[in-house]
Amino acid sequence: MARNVPDDGKPSRNERIDAAEASGETGGLIETSVTTEDSDEHSTPGRTIIESRGVDVFYDDVQALRGVDMEIPENRVTAMIGPSGCGKSTFLRTINRMNDLVDSARVEGELRFGGTNVYDEGVDPVALRRRIGMVFQSPNPFPKSIYDNAAYGLKVQDKTDDIDDRVERALRDAALWDEVQDRLDESGLELSGGQQQRLCIARAIAVDPDVLLMDEPASALDPVATSKVEDLIADLAEEYTVVIVTHNMQQAARISDKTAVFLTGGELVEFGDTNEIFENPEHDRVEDYITGKFG
Amino acid sequence: MAGGTAEPAEPPESAGMTGTEEVSRLRGTLFEAVTLGATVFGLLMVGVLLLYVVNDAVRPLSADPGWHLVFFLTLVVPSLSVAAYCYTREGPAGEVAYATFGLPVVGLLVGAGIVVVFLEVVSVADWFGLALALVAAAGAIELHRRLRPYAALERLAVLIVAPLVAIFGVPALSVDRTLATPLTGTELFTLSFSTPKLLPGVPELFTSLPVLPLDWLLLVVSLTLPVAFAFGRIVSRRREDDRGRLETVAAAGAVALVGALVAPTVGIDAAHWVVLATTTLLPLGVYLEGVVRERAGLAGLWFPVVVVAGTLVGALVVETVGFAGPDPWLDWGFLTSATSRSPADAGIYPALVGSILMLVVIVVSAFPVGVGAAIYLEEYAPNSGPLGTFVTLVEINIGNLAGVPSVVYGLLGLAIFVRTFDLGNGTVIVGGFTVGLLILPIVIISAQEAIRAVPDSLRQASYGMGATQWQTIRNVVLPRALPGTLTGTILALGRAIGETAPLLMIGAAASVRTPPNGFFSRFSAMPRQIYSWSSEIQPEFRYGVLAAGVVTLLVVLLMMNGTAILIRNKYQRES
Ligand SMILES: Nc1ncnc2c1ncn2[C@@H]1O[C@H](COP(=O)(O)OP(=O)(O)OP(=O)(O)O)[C@@H](O)[C@H]1O
Ligand SMILES: [Mg+2]
Repeated sequence: MARNVPDDGKPSRNERIDAAEASGETGGLIETSVTTEDSDEHSTPGRTIIESRGVDVFYDDVQALRGVDMEIPENRVTAMIGPSGCGKSTFLRTINRMNDLVDSARVEGELRFGGTNVYDEGVDPVALRRRIGMVFQSPNPFPKSIYDNAAYGLKVQDKTDDIDDRVERALRDAALWDEVQDRLDESGLELSGGQQQRLCIARAIAVDPDVLLMDEPASALDPVATSKVEDLIADLAEEYTVVIVTHNMQQAARISDKTAVFLTGGELVEFGDTNEIFENPEHDRVEDYITGKFG
Repeated sequence: MAGGTAEPAEPPESAGMTGTEEVSRLRGTLFEAVTLGATVFGLLMVGVLLLYVVNDAVRPLSADPGWHLVFFLTLVVPSLSVAAYCYTREGPAGEVAYATFGLPVVGLLVGAGIVVVFLEVVSVADWFGLALALVAAAGAIELHRRLRPYAALERLAVLIVAPLVAIFGVPALSVDRTLATPLTGTELFTLSFSTPKLLPGVPELFTSLPVLPLDWLLLVVSLTLPVAFAFGRIVSRRREDDRGRLETVAAAGAVALVGALVAPTVGIDAAHWVVLATTTLLPLGVYLEGVVRERAGLAGLWFPVVVVAGTLVGALVVETVGFAGPDPWLDWGFLTSATSRSPADAGIYPALVGSILMLVVIVVSAFPVGVGAAIYLEEYAPNSGPLGTFVTLVEINIGNLAGVPSVVYGLLGLAIFVRTFDLGNGTVIVGGFTVGLLILPIVIISAQEAIRAVPDSLRQASYGMGATQWQTIRNVVLPRALPGTLTGTILALGRAIGETAPLLMIGAAASVRTPPNGFFSRFSAMPRQIYSWSSEIQPEFRYGVLAAGVVTLLVVLLMMNGTAILIRNKYQRES
């Protein structure tokens, strides 16, 4: 099963979950605040921010994930690879409770975000998602203007102070500003597929989440745009914790600090430093998958 | 298709067509011909019927042949050739021709509707008072939002209470209660007092002002300026500056004012002018500004000019030569007078107004309820477990309700609204509620379908951004579902306006001489009036007047469906 290789931080830490000061309709992530050892507001690169303990996910009776154990370090890029249908997207959706929207989905086990089990009673999934942003597998901009797309999260989270600046910064960070600065009024659907995907990235980072979940963000992109997005992810890792799903081994090797390899059946077969996984994987099956013999 | 197993390697030129292929192709052609035949048959039947009715209503053959010839030469030939030129030669000109001709026509019809409702039925002062009250309520809500942005529950209360207080004021309080012990019935004490009306509503305050401004001035403030403000947004956007809005408002205000001062001298009511100018000239002006600015399709502007000039020239020629025009049943008099003993004087005006008022009640009652139900069923209702089964059952039965005969709804309306709630026999409000119930299932189903058509990926995107369910519904689902919902609703309204059986059941008048002057007065609607004409003894009623009524009803119906199609097309272009 999964070998958990702790990074330089402690495997878990208690972190005060400060009330998402977002719009009045949601309070904090949880009601109870956990006391903290180090009360610094700033993130500590390398510490575990998301910790998965024996997570099982079922769709009705079909099990999509089996006992996943994983620690995702803060301000690092963690890549998830594995053959199609092995549960990578399911795991991402488990982290920010998007699976709540799927009627048939059922989650067992513990998934801790900053020390709190996000499946605890009293955790508000809306507040959780305000801190864990997501970019979906296929671009899904709203049928609104480019500006409104980028500003959507800011508006729903009531972060409307200097909204124009935030939108511009997000579009710049997503390497899209130069292409759209003259046409912010046009519909987001009029952009090319790759531009749409970068718009979705901009939309997600505009609200300054702690964690960014990206489900194959480069699958719709050409090589040039792909490399732009990869640069972007490298930059993002300075401020955000990035979890990225990819089918592209080279990409995973290039951009990630940690790699998780899922194999068919929803098992996390191996998890560790990217270099080690790619240079000498513990399992033969992982080696076969990485070198393309199977998968 | 059977036998049509073409070898992929074979060249498509069908140089060596096999027997089975030929048979299959023949079958295809036959099938196509049959479907075409069915289509043509259906259209032909409706077409023949329409032709018949229109012929009866307009009686074109009662005119001199010379009259037809003159107008053919001065109006039909020139305008058709201009239209053909616009469509074939210059791309955007066709659209310009279409719009510059269509906008005033639609604007006039809308304006006529507003005149009927706001000037004849509701008085301008009442309307203005209501508008003031709504503005005051909106102001109060906005103020609360500024002062206490996070008090969501409180805001809900303000949202409900503010409009009520603004419109109705605070009513008189009157308490008369005796408190007694439950078992023995010994009286403990009696609380009894009453107060005079605590606070009058805004409309009441307004109408009790010693001097009321003139009607047309109220209309300029409450209708022209807001509409101009909305249209000004288009101008501003198009020009990419902020002055466009101001200029539009200024221009519209100036036209309305000057016209209102000049109009009475040529015999037009100033208030009518203000309404018609707002619905006709304002959209046309905004559209023309855009055409002239972009200099695209200017040739299309010739079309309305040619139509108007042709009509004038034709009328002049006919007048001087002395050709007699047709003597239609459907004329201005028919639209503006009440029914009468003699067919020549009979008109449909009271029934037309009745239909429009009923439509208002239907829209106000059925649309919010239907959309609300659809949102609940699609977005909130559980779809698994025993409750989910119940919801599915409800949904199936809504489908069944859509098929219940309208007579049954009439009976329901009679039982509920007339007998139980005592809203009066054959009043507008009863008619509207009853027919509203009738189309409610259709509204729910079409709204449900529109909501279901919103891609799930958009909902996910919204939730993924940390939006609440309500924010997702309001910002993503509803805007996307609105055009489909509107289209479905308007088509349902088309059905509603033609319903006769429920009106018979709730006792709508067979024919009335005056239009209803409020929602609680008795009324007759167009189909009811047509039905009663069909049993008149004089044949002119059964052929001429009835045909004119049917054509009026159909034109109203076509306009509504046309609106639905426009909305749908606009929506399809946008997404
Ligand atoms: N909404 C759902 N309902 C039922 N089963 C689902 C649902 N979503 C996913 N599954 C199942 O869960 C399993 C894992 O799916 P998931 O989408 O997580 O795979 P993935 O690793 O992301 O694949 P890919 O690389 O193709 O995106 C699959 O067997 C899939 O059929
Ligand atoms: Mg996936």
